[in-house]
Amino acid sequence: MAETQQHGAGQAGTGHAGNAHIHLPAPTAWPIVLAFGFTLVAAGLVTSAGVSLLGAVFMLAGCVGWFRQVLPVEQHEEVEVVEQPVVIASSRALVDRIVLSTTHRAHLPLETYPVTSGIKGGIAGGIVMIGPALLYGWIAQHSIWYPVNLLGGAGVAHWSNPSTADIAAFHWQGLIVATLIHSVTCLLVGLLYGAMLPMLPRHPVLLGGILAPVLWTGILHAFMGIINPALDARIQWGWFLVSQVTYGVVAGIVVARQGKVPTGQSLPFAARLGIEAPGLLLSRPDAGPPRGEDKD
Amino acid sequence: MADQTLPISAPLPDAEAQRATRLEWLHSWVVTVDHKKLGILYVVYALFFLLVAGAEAIAIRIQLAWPNLHFVSPEVYDELFTMHGTTMVFLVGMPILFGFANYLVPLMIGARDMAFPRLNAFSFWLTAFGGLLLYFSIVGGFGLYGMGNAPDVGWWAYAPLTAKAFTPGHNTDYWALALIVSGFGTLGTAINIIATVASMRCRGMTLMRMPLFVWLMLIVSVLTLVTITPLTAAQIMLLIDRYLGGHFFDAQAGGSPIVWMHFFWIFGHPEVYVLVLPAFAIANEVIPVFSRKAVFGYPAMVAASVGICFVSLTVWAHHMFTVGMTSVGNTFFVLSTMTVGIPTGIKIFNWLATMWGGRIRFATPMLFSTAFVFQFLLAGLTGIMLSVAPWDWQLHNSYFVIAHFHYVLVGAIVFCIFAAIYYWYPKVTGRMLSETLGKWHFWLFLIGFHITFDTMHFVGLLGMPRSIYTYEPDRGWNTLNLIISLGGFVQAIAVLLFAWNLIYSYLRGERAGADPWDAWTLEWSTPSPPPDYNFAVDPVVRSRRPLWDLKHPHDPDWKYEQ
Repeated sequence: MAETQQHGAGQAGTGHAGNAHIHLPAPTAWPIVLAFGFTLVAAGLVTSAGVSLLGAVFMLAGCVGWFRQVLPVEQHEEVEVVEQPVVIASSRALVDRIVLSTTHRAHLPLETYPVTSGIKGGIAGGIVMIGPALLYGWIAQHSIWYPVNLLGGAGVAHWSNPSTADIAAFHWQGLIVATLIHSVTCLLVGLLYGAMLPMLPRHPVLLGGILAPVLWTGILHAFMGIINPALDARIQWGWFLVSQVTYGVVAGIVVARQGKVPTGQSLPFAARLGIEAPGLLLSRPDAGPPRGEDKD
Repeated sequence: MADQTLPISAPLPDAEAQRATRLEWLHSWVVTVDHKKLGILYVVYALFFLLVAGAEAIAIRIQLAWPNLHFVSPEVYDELFTMHGTTMVFLVGMPILFGFANYLVPLMIGARDMAFPRLNAFSFWLTAFGGLLLYFSIVGGFGLYGMGNAPDVGWWAYAPLTAKAFTPGHNTDYWALALIVSGFGTLGTAINIIATVASMRCRGMTLMRMPLFVWLMLIVSVLTLVTITPLTAAQIMLLIDRYLGGHFFDAQAGGSPIVWMHFFWIFGHPEVYVLVLPAFAIANEVIPVFSRKAVFGYPAMVAASVGICFVSLTVWAHHMFTVGMTSVGNTFFVLSTMTVGIPTGIKIFNWLATMWGGRIRFATPMLFSTAFVFQFLLAGLTGIMLSVAPWDWQLHNSYFVIAHFHYVLVGAIVFCIFAAIYYWYPKVTGRMLSETLGKWHFWLFLIGFHITFDTMHFVGLLGMPRSIYTYEPDRGWNTLNLIISLGGFVQAIAVLLFAWNLIYSYLRGERAGADPWDAWTLEWSTPSPPPDYNFAVDPVVRSRRPLWDLKHPHDPDWKYEQ
């Protein structure tokens, strides 16, 4: 389908269609004069004071000229509108649409776990995983502070190449940083679980609780030697895996046990923001009467 | 005064009339406040300096093509790499991208001009004079080696090399002053773009209907305002150190050279995004049109661009892993740098998803854009490698880093600039660029680019440091350096072909018509070239692709967009 536009306009609209002339800002030399003056002032700092002085004169002239251009009334020029018909048409008028089969997988989820389920799962998993971590410290290093300092050691500013005894001792900075890192990470991963578990079609606890921790432990194991060789040398990866799986299983169970809520994916963005206004929501033929109406 | 024509009162003989016409033509460019003319001036100015900085790069590559060569002196070599870097970033990259913004933003949002036309002219001329001041140092600068001494402290100009004791004379001052002058021009343009986008959009052009090009230019302008300011402040502090007895960067007097590094890189790294976001903007327009599909994930593209803007302000000290920061500092900048990979990854997936299933036309703009997507991906991957602090400790200041950032600056930005010129040249001049020459240009440049910069990674991994004048023949770098230099020549031939295409097509090119690419944004609804007033009738838009709506009235976008 072709459509002809007059005067080179974009689409039908109002404005200056009936005018033979259009106001545009008048050309002026004062900006270049001012810029040249500014440059001369700068150049004078490395050449001669006279150059700067000349630049200042140009700047003054530029400023005065510019002010007179715009005060009291901005100067314009009248530009004649030239008839230049523009044909807006496409040689590719046909539109192809992607045909989806009825069994296509790209269905929007109508229900999902609430965000709070991820937070609860993250908190629960985070609390329980402290157990195996401290157990590792007690059995392998005879100190529960060892795993704490491994996690929070970056926060102990004066540490450089700490000995095993250093790491096994109590450091309040290490405890604070480790607590922060542990809390934030557990919450974020819990939120990720809340978002991801609906996407895992079956056995969410198995996939989210075991497979995912094994995968990220493997990735960390592969990269830690490059990112932080010193830390890598001190991590017992078997114990690390046990604590991660503990977290994953607990968080996965907690998330999976929460009730699901409607996603609202089919609603307009404004409605999903909570804005209720007439015309925003289309009536759904499959929906029943609003709550309360059926009682009358 | 300036808005009057030249005083020609009577008929003139032919020769004089022609001269007078030429003078009027020249005068019209000097006094113009039209965004389109200023955009063209920016682009022409940048293309001129692209040739200059390209010639400097070729001289550098000749010098390094073989061990123990003395094609230029060590002093001139220092000046060459300083001027090459400074020119490419400040006189080519930023002006050409702001040139595109100047020309296209008002047209794309249905406006007749920028919000502040006179400020627009002032900003351009400041940028232009700043560049001229920088190059005046080649004849007027007095440095360590006497008169005619261009700046030679690297484009990063680290302290304490820039102290008066180590860099006497004025050449470093020319560098600082030129960048201050052009920096004010850049700030003016950024303010103008923000004001234009905020207040000059036509009816129906809501923020979420703006072309992605306009969104990206808005974000770039905000980023420019934030980042040029510390650079300008640092330049002024440097001048205070050099002339007024200040000690900002003098460690012996209580200052710190590290402060300069922080100031420079808090500008310098976001600057990469100031340059690459407009490249994204170009790809956002070209790829959908030549894939015959609307861009995939428009809201995600906007969100990713805003995300890049914020994250890019938190990564600067990854340039400083080797200065000895604390482990907390290193960790923060490792993680923040890696975070950039998320929004940029979203963009790459979205470009691929836009192309996926589309009816792709591999015209020259699309060829350059396609190469950009894959090269930017590789550049991003080496960026992630360098974001790992221990990796960076091994390769900092090596040619691996040079290869990485040239993959970004050339492989992404220059490729997109070429795509943009092939795409919008018909709109600006009314004539098509030759597709045959364009394809020769593309393939030669692509081959030359990969010969040069792929190889450069390996010479870097073998330990070759950046900025060295020459090297001994027993280092194992000889053949690789020769290959790199040969690739540079292939790129130079491609650029000369491109320059010839620009001139030839301007004179003899096929007539373009208003909409040669069957595109969808408002600029293609105007004649080519557009009249001074852009639109005789104020346009009204109802979707992100207003021309699609007109071309397909039975299937307009506004039926589907929310």
